[in-house]
Amino acid sequence: MAIIDDVRTIISQSLKIPVERLTPETRLDELGAESLDVIEIVFGLEEKFDISIPFKANEGTRLTVTDKSGSEEMEFSTVGDLAGVVKKLIEAKAPR
Amino acid sequence: MNCVVITGIGVVSPIGSARDKFWSALVEARSGIGPLSGIPTELLSTRIAAQVRDFDPSQHFEPKQESLLDRFAQFAVVAARSAVQDAQLELSEDMALDAAAIVGNSAGGQTSLDDGYYKVYGQRSPRLHPLTIPRLMSNAAVSQVSMDLGIKGPTYTIASACASGTHAIGQAFHMVRSGQVPIALTGGTEACLSVGTIKGWEALRVLSADTCRPFSKTRTGLVLGEGAAMFVLETREHAMARGAPIYAEVLGFGMSADANDITAMDPDGAARAMRSALIDGRVNPEDVDYVNAHGTGTALNDKGETAALRKAFGANAEHLAVSSSKGVLGHSLGAAGALELAATALALHHQIVPPTANFEEADPDCDLDYVPNTARNAPIEKAMSSSFAFGGLNAVLVLGRA
Repeated sequence: MAIIDDVRTIISQSLKIPVERLTPETRLDELGAESLDVIEIVFGLEEKFDISIPFKANEGTRLTVTDKSGSEEMEFSTVGDLAGVVKKLIEAKAPR
Repeated sequence: MNCVVITGIGVVSPIGSARDKFWSALVEARSGIGPLSGIPTELLSTRIAAQVRDFDPSQHFEPKQESLLDRFAQFAVVAARSAVQDAQLELSEDMALDAAAIVGNSAGGQTSLDDGYYKVYGQRSPRLHPLTIPRLMSNAAVSQVSMDLGIKGPTYTIASACASGTHAIGQAFHMVRSGQVPIALTGGTEACLSVGTIKGWEALRVLSADTCRPFSKTRTGLVLGEGAAMFVLETREHAMARGAPIYAEVLGFGMSADANDITAMDPDGAARAMRSALIDGRVNPEDVDYVNAHGTGTALNDKGETAALRKAFGANAEHLAVSSSKGVLGHSLGAAGALELAATALALHHQIVPPTANFEEADPDCDLDYVPNTARNAPIEKAMSSSFAFGGLNAVLVLGRA
């Protein structure tokens, strides 16, 4: 399954909304996700992919994601953003 | 000073979560103690507990709300809802702004704490569920009660181990009596049957292997329990104005500290709390008919409590009917005082003294009338409910017939 589909499933379960409503462009805040919801989604993604997402509740939706080639600022607002961050973190932990 | 009455009682207990089932099991001395189930027991030597068995959270909560609630908060919310329903209370916006919620519990969300520690230390898990802290904090139960019912007045939790429920209700009683609040939701809740907590109790070597036999010479110790009881307290005026049912009047509340031993009860401290409750309620010792005892089924408690009753009541102790509900309910720590106050209020309401269950043989050091095994029809005008906590903290309530 593509990463984005897992991300959609986890968001849909956490917010109790149909997975069909979630496109890559869908923003979490327009789905009514509150801060605890976002934290729960982050937890779900971390558990699913065994990664650590550098998300801080009081630091907005910009994440600093670090991999072997350095650090990168990434947006964490839409379903597609989340999938991108997850993909980057999975690649970062993969042995080369 | 206002006259304060109990108009609603809600329970979640090892003998059922409907008030009628709860009361009939108490009267018939049908024990809720049974085989410990639902948690891994391979690390435990304890095999019995008074567990709440008929409780399905999904019947009471949407999945979203349920994920926020430790079992101790679930119990409190369900008991609070049934107390409000029992009181036929429509909490208007104005009333909710002034209402208090005071809930006792001994150690917060012990199930969530235990699960979390197991994940971290046992499974070396790199992360915990994000709601771990909001679930386990000691005030989670009372906060969830406030959120669920919309209560916006004074709201907090009281922790005094096995006296928590009684301290909470006493505090709420004084707030309503003084006019600080017109109405209060109050009680106690506990869900302590986790592996870690039971292990701690095993280390104290006070747990019974078979059952709880308060005041009986053949006693073998206490049995842990769980549950919650919540009450609607309001002024008699308020209750009458809205035509509410009245179970009992709350007359007096007394407290004391032993300043002595961290675990052993001190008859002198316990007796001072009893006397203080009588004085607070302007009740003469000879007017008390029934005492729902702390009666844990440990030798130290039962002998000490008997001595305390003799100290507080003098010669009148001979005429008291004294029973412990812990043979039926087990010891639910911070909920115990609340569940036992429910038993006491219902005793007044039904004019029946519930018995001490599992009583086998009289103990020369416990020489009062413990109403062994069989309930008694008897006129009850005034009744007392006592709780004595580890740490030497004592809390006693006195109720009167409605």
